[in-house]
Amino acid sequence: MVVGDISTGTDVLVIGAGPGGYVAAIRAGQLDLDVTLVEREAFGGVCLNHGCIPSKALITATGVAHEAANAEEMGIHADPAIDMGGMVEWKEGIVDRLTGGVEKLCKANGVNLVEGTAEFAGSHKARVAHDGQGQGSESIEFEHAIVATGSRPIEIPGFEFDGEHVLSSRHALSPDSAPDSLVIVGAGYIGMELAGVYAKAGTDVTIVEMLDEALAGYTDDLAAPVVDNIEELGVELHLGEAAQGWEETNDGIEVATENADGEESTFDAEKVLVAVGREPVTDTLNLESVGLEPDEDGFLATDDRARTDVSHVYAVGDVAGEPLLAHKGMKEGRVAAEVIAGEPSALDYQAVPAAVFTEPEIGTVGMTEAEAEEAGFSPVTGQMPFQASGRALTTGHTDGFVRIVADEESGFVLGGQIVGPDASELVAEVGLAIELGATLEDVAATIHTHPTLSEAVQEAAENALGHAIHTLNR
Amino acid sequence: MVREFKLPDVGEGVAEGEIVRWLVEPGDEVSEDQPVAEVETDKAVVEVPSPVDGSVKELLAEEGEVVPVGDVIITFNVEGEEPAEEEESGPEAAEPSSGEGKREPTKVEGRPAVTKADAGEDRRAAGTEDEEAPTASKRVFAPPNVRRLARELGVDVASVEGSGPGGRISEGDVRSAAEGDRDGAESEESAGSEEGPSGLDEELSSAVSSQEGDSQPPEAADRERTLAAPATRRLAEEQGVDLNAVPTDETRDGEAFVTPEAVREYTEARRAAPTDAAEATAETETGPREREEREPYRGIRRTIGRQMAQSKYTAPHVTHHDTAEVERLVETRGELKAIAEERGVRLTYMPFVMKAVVAALKQHPYLNSSLDEESEEVVVKNYYDVGIAVATDAGLMVPVVRDVDEKGVLQLASEVNELAQKARERSISREEMQGGTFTITNFGAIGGEFATPIINHPEVAILGLGELDERPIAEDGEVRAAHTLPLSLSIDHRIVDGAVAAEFTNTLIEYLENPNLLLLE
Repeated sequence: MVVGDISTGTDVLVIGAGPGGYVAAIRAGQLDLDVTLVEREAFGGVCLNHGCIPSKALITATGVAHEAANAEEMGIHADPAIDMGGMVEWKEGIVDRLTGGVEKLCKANGVNLVEGTAEFAGSHKARVAHDGQGQGSESIEFEHAIVATGSRPIEIPGFEFDGEHVLSSRHALSPDSAPDSLVIVGAGYIGMELAGVYAKAGTDVTIVEMLDEALAGYTDDLAAPVVDNIEELGVELHLGEAAQGWEETNDGIEVATENADGEESTFDAEKVLVAVGREPVTDTLNLESVGLEPDEDGFLATDDRARTDVSHVYAVGDVAGEPLLAHKGMKEGRVAAEVIAGEPSALDYQAVPAAVFTEPEIGTVGMTEAEAEEAGFSPVTGQMPFQASGRALTTGHTDGFVRIVADEESGFVLGGQIVGPDASELVAEVGLAIELGATLEDVAATIHTHPTLSEAVQEAAENALGHAIHTLNR
Repeated sequence: MVREFKLPDVGEGVAEGEIVRWLVEPGDEVSEDQPVAEVETDKAVVEVPSPVDGSVKELLAEEGEVVPVGDVIITFNVEGEEPAEEEESGPEAAEPSSGEGKREPTKVEGRPAVTKADAGEDRRAAGTEDEEAPTASKRVFAPPNVRRLARELGVDVASVEGSGPGGRISEGDVRSAAEGDRDGAESEESAGSEEGPSGLDEELSSAVSSQEGDSQPPEAADRERTLAAPATRRLAEEQGVDLNAVPTDETRDGEAFVTPEAVREYTEARRAAPTDAAEATAETETGPREREEREPYRGIRRTIGRQMAQSKYTAPHVTHHDTAEVERLVETRGELKAIAEERGVRLTYMPFVMKAVVAALKQHPYLNSSLDEESEEVVVKNYYDVGIAVATDAGLMVPVVRDVDEKGVLQLASEVNELAQKARERSISREEMQGGTFTITNFGAIGGEFATPIINHPEVAILGLGELDERPIAEDGEVRAAHTLPLSLSIDHRIVDGAVAAEFTNTLIEYLENPNLLLLE
């Protein structure tokens, strides 16, 4: 122990106060465990501060402006002006409320909050360094530790984030103003979401993507409406082009790319945003001293109890591996706390939903038809286009469809893919059906409110059963 | 056609049996009811008869293998029947079809749990592991609250047959599965001392059938690299298992990942079905003795262990010690011994003790009772069936002498000798060891004075006899030598208090010290 060290003890040390960490801490507190939650930056983690919540705030705000400006068909004539500063301030207000809420909830559940950067210093010991001169450090002896240090944007060579010319997603969510032009490297979900935000805020956006498709990982039929829409917004989409580097020019910057044939291109812009993915934060933890080694991608392997190879150390959220989704981390956090408390808890979920907040939104859960087939089922699908939805017509958004995948033999719902208005919400119904072991009949026989978008899920189930009313049956 | 024969329920409430010896070989002609195998259950060795006239096609279990009731152990070629199922193999072959199953107890057919064939059909829905459907096997069609309940009750939800639409698993299904398992286990534990309740067989069968899948010899995996948590590695080491050989469907980062459960399953399965290689090694090893040796804990030893543990953890034991001065008993027995011998009976002290015990029990009836925990009633027995613990090579057995109060000393002597002999030869039947009301254990035959006998649950008392020997007695300031018999009486303190135990022992001592009093009984 170094001189001046304070040493404390705790049942459960949680490192990182993002969705995985704070949920674990609160749940452990509820289960009467002594919990210490260490956060080096801001309660709520990336999700609340620099990810999900800020991006959705900006997506909604710019969406409102865009909707208003394009609602002549509805008889609305408006020319909204976006005050990016005001918008960011509004977003910060939301973030503050949420992070403050998390802090309050932690305290109300008896969680000891510690600000600082934690690293392991032995099998049952961690050291927390406090920021700032003379702030010192403290040692915490723990029975169990939950690693929930999350992830950070990946930097690619030649594009080190500087916040001025080269932005990370985090920078892009707290802009002082919307740049006149922006090159986005990466057409994954973050790149596509932010492209929509900036395009609607008036920025000329160009996306360059190394792969030959946007939204890789989603099937073509789901990605197509999103790609169409983003191009309608005026976004230039350059697929199959790898970003090579950038240079400052008189007017801003120039981003160089190269395609598979070695042909080079350049794109002028005010700034470049790099959104090529995220990597886990495990290099700051001195994992060796607790006997852990991350895999080559930096993730910590865990079992179905969220336990790592060291039985008293748990990993939850992004550090525990794909998919990097806050709701997956929350579930893991809850399970880790319950397992530590001796509850019969396990990560036995049947499907993890995912959503892309583009326009239109994409929501997926469970298996696709191909995956179901590969898994040995005899899949049957049912589909409902939003063009046939009364409610979709009244929102002015009729792109997309709901597709439900089920096992023909048993009728069990196995998955759902939705692209269209509020797909991120609608997918929850399919997720619930999967978890409950509901059948197509169950979904079809459940009365859905009319007129709503959720009727499309019911209709898709009816369609799979061959007795849809509002669409032609398969 | 090929007729499959499953290990039948060879005794009341028996869940599994060890194939001690095959009496036939493939190719042998057999006739109906001809014994084909000797099977040891938890108490007895029984012969399993052939159900058909025909020839032996294949023996499906090794000698020494423990086989759950309901597993196919042998197949026969039977002439003159349709060869329809000749080619069948795999899970379906184990399915009890209406024609095939007629020789089996119907309770096996009627069981509610998953059979192998069911599991095959439901493999996608029920999530059993199967190579053909690796991803589907991960799906369990049960809601989260049911999955949690299954974890709480220690039920593998993937092995539960759902009763809902499409086989969806409900809370009730999981509870039934858990009940089935528990009932099965409990019945097995108590089978040695209690008549099974009605319907027991059915429940047992369900417990057994859910284990069917485990009975096959495990196929060892052969990987170069296996990921596992340190605790799992330690477990594997303890069990002497190569992690690379443990089958698993789980992966981490593309590498096979083995859990402690997988190691345990593999170990258990391997023990139940020793591989040829392992046996060969065991037979040919001639080197120095291992530092440690592992022997399977099963059969009679395991039954005794379970019975003891259940008794010890169910009944709060208190042991009361005292000593009887038995000079007159020694004389009496000495006098009667010669007469008994003339009549061809070896007379020990045991029949006298039994008579004295029954006399004392009549005065203290709570020691001849049991506790019906379910109905919360003390069942006081007005009959006196006394169990006599007998040490055998296989372990402790407790034959029961019926109606001790109605029998004379010589008859008791004769019965005890006969039952003890049968126990040692292991030809004793289960019935002859069931339904005792009080037990006597004579550890003094080997030596020693006092001990803490474990009650033969659900009885409430057991009397331990130390060695009858000459010991010093202090009387009126003088020490003299006299024959004494040390007594150790363990009681279930829920039913019997210390004072009652002492009173019972005083009465017992009175009879032992004055055997003439037994004439009045």
